[in-house]
Amino acid sequence: MSIIHVQDLSKVYRIVEKDPGLAGSFKALFRPRYKDILAVDRISFTIEPGELVGYIGVNGAGKSTTIKMLTGILLPSGGAVRVLERDPYQQRVPNARDIGVVFGQRSQLWWDLPLIESLNFIQRIYEIPPASFKRRLDEFAETLELKALFGTPIRNLSLGQKMRAELAATLIHDPQVVYLDEPTIGLDLLVKERIREFIKAQNRQRNVTVILTTHDLGDIEEICQRVIMIDAGRIIYDGPLSLIKARFGKFREITLETASPIGLFALPTGAEIVQQADQRLTLRFDRTVTTASQVAAAIMNQLEVADFSLAEPDLASIVKQIYSGALHA
Amino acid sequence: MNRLRHLFNVYGAVLAAVPKFYTAYRAWVWMEFVVQILAMVVLYFFWQAVYASGGALGGLTFQQTINYVMLAQMLMPLVENRLIFNFGWMLREGQIAIDLLRPMDFQARLYVDAVGNLFLNLLVKAPLLIMAVVFFQVQLPRDVTTWLVFIVALALGHAVMFFFDWIFSCLAFYSTETWGLSVVRVAVVTFFSGAIVPLQMMPHWLQTTANLLPFAQSVYVPVSFLSGVTPSSAAAQAWLIQLAWLIGLGVISRLVFRRSLRKITVQGG
Repeated sequence: MSIIHVQDLSKVYRIVEKDPGLAGSFKALFRPRYKDILAVDRISFTIEPGELVGYIGVNGAGKSTTIKMLTGILLPSGGAVRVLERDPYQQRVPNARDIGVVFGQRSQLWWDLPLIESLNFIQRIYEIPPASFKRRLDEFAETLELKALFGTPIRNLSLGQKMRAELAATLIHDPQVVYLDEPTIGLDLLVKERIREFIKAQNRQRNVTVILTTHDLGDIEEICQRVIMIDAGRIIYDGPLSLIKARFGKFREITLETASPIGLFALPTGAEIVQQADQRLTLRFDRTVTTASQVAAAIMNQLEVADFSLAEPDLASIVKQIYSGALHA
Repeated sequence: MNRLRHLFNVYGAVLAAVPKFYTAYRAWVWMEFVVQILAMVVLYFFWQAVYASGGALGGLTFQQTINYVMLAQMLMPLVENRLIFNFGWMLREGQIAIDLLRPMDFQARLYVDAVGNLFLNLLVKAPLLIMAVVFFQVQLPRDVTTWLVFIVALALGHAVMFFFDWIFSCLAFYSTETWGLSVVRVAVVTFFSGAIVPLQMMPHWLQTTANLLPFAQSVYVPVSFLSGVTPSSAAAQAWLIQLAWLIGLGVISRLVFRRSLRKITVQGG
């Protein structure tokens, strides 16, 4: 039984088009000219309990709009959403009890008050039994390293500490579905790593369903088994991360270091030069045409190779490829 | 019973949070104190001059008028709320997304918050009331009944004003110009609520207008009981009128809000 069900979901924003200047403002006030913007265009997908789904796309692709419709803040213009058997917009309050949301750009914590005050408030409004609240608090004190921060006002927390606090506030009522809208934005690598570990652990231990939007493909690679990619309001890919890599990552890069400066050499078939330095050569090849060993062997026949390495394509380059139209071709 | 415990838990938490934020406004509270003491001095001498030639004005004696205007100017800021600024800010910053995702009724939450603030304000204003009695000849009722009548009328009047402000604040969904709107609102409400002069002193057509508007329910009605302008025997009728306003505006406010929410676009992200 799927936990989230999205069918032909659309959102149209109607905005007032305004000419520049004061005169334009007046004109817009009395005779508004509307322009419809299709932010989400008939998307459909289902998500099963316990899935970790990465929802990615460039800025303005419709990611946040989708999340807002899933959480029940935004009224869809068309189509249907079911989350935990409910319509999240019509049944916003019951839905809110069973979900958790992190908006990376804003906070649910009280800015001027110590963290523990916000958490106590959350305990009361979600009616978390004291025993399980305490258990969760102890757990988060450990896994999110919050122990020393409970008494600190939010305004005195660093960005990374704040995000850890947000995650605690979002998961403490044991939600079944968690939406994380850019949870690692602006964080350093170490904090990102810890947050990714935490999310994975929560998913493993409690089978919580996670929908994650991010620009950081490292998040996706480390956390998600499934990727939904959206562009201009349409889903352009929905499937396992491994498949996307296999399908679009047909290029490999091989980097060779030579013992002496590189002289003239013949390029192996199916390979092209990416970068060439004094004693260093990077080649790209299509692995459906040739193999790594063929390329390496061809070079080694001509040059004295001291070392070489093979790189898998990262998701960033794959996404770039998809965006630039490889999918439609 | 469970439902009751649930409501107590959830909205009790909202109420308990009010004093924690109140301290943030402490400097503001003191400023208001100074301003109100000055206002009391001005009001006292102004009305003394008006009554110098003796007699009654609008059927009110000097004592009744002094009671009324002093209490009204103390109470006025209490029924005022910053709802439209709140809405404007929440919409501009997109913070409304967070608040809509709390597992409770959005309007009920803000109402409980407003009640908590009203109560705290009353406590903080107590010294001002004592000053009014000691230095400015204000006479407070000595019987419990009048106080009870006042408290009920104040609670009802406050709710009427809250629902009016709620409807008004929904304009923030349609216009980002919340400051200008609120300036107009303050001017209109201050005058027609009877915060400056009791309704009796207004020309007939203004009185009629004031009675057709909800604002008098929040200042004039409770203050007129406390100042002895209206006898407490008129309480039942006054409460019923307040209740009618409350229900009417309450229903409209929910409809308007539901309508406005469809327009929401939550900035950013």
